[in-house]
Amino acid sequence: MDIIENSKVKEKVYIEKLENGLTVMIIPKQNTNKKYAIIGTHFGSIDNNFIVPEDGEEIKIPDGVAHFLEHKMFEQENGRNSLDVLSSLGVDANAYTCNTYTAYLFECTNNFNEAFKELMDYVQHPYYTDENVKKEQGIIEQEINMYEDDPATKVYMEALKCMYESNPVRIDIAGSVESINKIDKEVLYKCYNTFYNPSNMALVLCGNFEIEKTMEMVKDNLVEKPVQGEIKRIYPKEKEQINKKEAENKMDISRPIFVIGIKDEVKDKVTAKKALAVEIILEILLGKSSKLYKDLYESQELIAKPELEYEFSNNYAHILISGQAQNPKKILEELTNKINELKEKGINEEEYTRIKKKIYGQYVMEYNDVDSIAGIFLSDYFKGIKPFEYIEEFASLTIEYVNQIFKEVFNTNKMVISVVK
Amino acid sequence: MNYQKEQIKKGINLHTVETNKFKTNLFTIMLTTKITKEDVTKNALISLILRRGTNNLQSQEEISKHLENMYGASFDCGVDKIGDNQIIKIYLESLSDEFLPKGEENFKKSINTILDIAFNPLVENNKFNEDYFNVEKEKLKQIINSKKDNKGMYAFNRCIEEMYKDMPYGIYKFGTLEELENITNDKLYNHYLKLIQSCKIDIYASGKISENLKDIIIENENIKKLQEREGEYTKNSVNSEFRQEQKIEESMDITQGKLVIGMNLKEENENSKNIALVYNSILGGTANSKLFQNVREKESLAYTAGSNYIRQKANIFIRCGIEIENYEKALEIIRKQIEDMKGGDFTQEELENAKQYIISTIQAIEDEQDTQISYCFGQELTGTEISLEKYIENIKKVTKEQVVDLAKTVQINTVYFLKN
Repeated sequence: MDIIENSKVKEKVYIEKLENGLTVMIIPKQNTNKKYAIIGTHFGSIDNNFIVPEDGEEIKIPDGVAHFLEHKMFEQENGRNSLDVLSSLGVDANAYTCNTYTAYLFECTNNFNEAFKELMDYVQHPYYTDENVKKEQGIIEQEINMYEDDPATKVYMEALKCMYESNPVRIDIAGSVESINKIDKEVLYKCYNTFYNPSNMALVLCGNFEIEKTMEMVKDNLVEKPVQGEIKRIYPKEKEQINKKEAENKMDISRPIFVIGIKDEVKDKVTAKKALAVEIILEILLGKSSKLYKDLYESQELIAKPELEYEFSNNYAHILISGQAQNPKKILEELTNKINELKEKGINEEEYTRIKKKIYGQYVMEYNDVDSIAGIFLSDYFKGIKPFEYIEEFASLTIEYVNQIFKEVFNTNKMVISVVK
Repeated sequence: MNYQKEQIKKGINLHTVETNKFKTNLFTIMLTTKITKEDVTKNALISLILRRGTNNLQSQEEISKHLENMYGASFDCGVDKIGDNQIIKIYLESLSDEFLPKGEENFKKSINTILDIAFNPLVENNKFNEDYFNVEKEKLKQIINSKKDNKGMYAFNRCIEEMYKDMPYGIYKFGTLEELENITNDKLYNHYLKLIQSCKIDIYASGKISENLKDIIIENENIKKLQEREGEYTKNSVNSEFRQEQKIEESMDITQGKLVIGMNLKEENENSKNIALVYNSILGGTANSKLFQNVREKESLAYTAGSNYIRQKANIFIRCGIEIENYEKALEIIRKQIEDMKGGDFTQEELENAKQYIISTIQAIEDEQDTQISYCFGQELTGTEISLEKYIENIKKVTKEQVVDLAKTVQINTVYFLKN
């Protein structure tokens, strides 16, 4: 078992890769009542073409399988629904699917051991029948419809479609009504057996835990599974340039919303250091203290600070700037000018130091509660980012490096805009 | 929970929650008044203007720079409606001094900054800065107009409005466009001066509290300017009336219908609130609840189905997102669940599960700073002081018989449906 400790945030993590391949991380938090457990598999909506390690067969699956699987995991062969069981233990249980992984979690103040047993039990025991697959199609159809009415989802998905021509990140996580109707129990089992192997999974626990005892308890709740080789994931080759410059859709909303995207490339992988540099630049460009935000706010183009985000995996990377604006194209135009201007001048030292402080503080604040800690450790793990890497990397950041990243990533030819009005 | 309340001046109180669980300190100022049609929009506008600048930090840009230098402290202002009161809420969160590089300190800066924002806005020629006033007035207009953007929330608010016609609780917390039109900068500034000299003021601090916090506050120039006051607000708010069920349908361009059912229940005493919590939890509070199980799981009629209990109001609201053509069917199934509750058609296990769920929520209060402050403030407004331990005990004591008795008093007031 390894221990990684960080003196700045005064936290530590115990890590062990178990014999069956499962990676376990425990972050002890004394004096909290809440305990949090999350188990994830490196299987997300973008993994729809892959080679099964067992027999070398290449498989293509309908869109939305990872999400469908997530929905179907709760149902047990004995007729019980694990969500109900967890709920009856007084714990708050949930699951979610994102582009690159699927996670199952619960949060509790009591009955941790019982709840943990149930979590491990249902995640390790799939049960799919023609009948229960059929029923789920109805529920997911409702979910897809719900998101169809949601302008925020629409504007975000359209931005991705502008940036990407073939990368599956452009496909809705839930799939479409049409694609989910192609899902049957065979495909679910195939994906389950491939991706829900412990060697493709990680478990994170955060709360007031005794480490040794907890590690034993984890081992006691494992089902034996054959150790599996690496899953080869096949992604279509994505061109470097954007797919199209803009998208516009109409919905019943009071003020247009927009997402501006900047497509980035993943050469080897995105490092924590690079991600920090991008975050700093975004704040300098359009953060609350920026000149551009001030101007846009005062001229009432913007009514609130846009969300600034750098989204990345091992397979895609892009910047997203989302908000509400009277005239979104104007925001794009002003932002483009600002980027060009700043590239010429270079980043200002005072601004850089101040924004770096701000972002550092925000990273420390993430260690405030068990949910946020566990969630971050899991998602970083699948991105190949080490525990506390962000916090540590601040020391190595320099203004020169940030300027260099600025020139590389903020390519105005790779900007797109999606608008819903 | 290590909670203390001290009076700064009559009508102005300091509440502290000492805890070492967090990396941050959280400071919150609540300005409470009775919610009224005349003032609601003005107060909403004030909450927006306060964000813009103080006489020391004259613009948003300066405030932001100041907070960034404090290692990413964050602040915001908002308005809330709790019972029949409107609250302007200003909060500031900053890293605790022990997580800052040596020689840096945040604590005193934080408290002085938040007091500056709340009580020392940028004033020019005896009114708010004209630009700030104009921009924020326009912004409030946008906010009021955007009420319909979140369909689920919109349907919920509309149901409340219909249940509380011409009553304080029916007032939208951001106010109305008509009122907004009439507000001038002079009027607003006068209203602000009156407000801060008469409203109930509660200052909350959670985290590693410095021993001299009270002194810092008393010595703060902005606090010195504030007078003693009665700090009037509504302790016991007026509930919706029991009435013949009304049905309201409205249309909007949507794919999924939003169904909201507002219900009344009779509360005999303080303990009724504990019983109502348990009732609500069995009916629609969790994934195990009757509504979730029967509307979503068994019938696949909805993606969301649940209910929530409004503590200050003796109301329960059922909320579902359903396919429009399933309206009648969903309504029928929901009615059956309400009837089943009256008939005591739930098991001892369901009762225990519901209680367990509520207890977990109570135990988690201490693990989040803002939840903890909200809990303390909720008690402040109702004039109760029940420890978390006692609260848990009260929930444990709720019996099936009590839940059934309460269920029998439940009556639908309004069925609101937002369709295509």
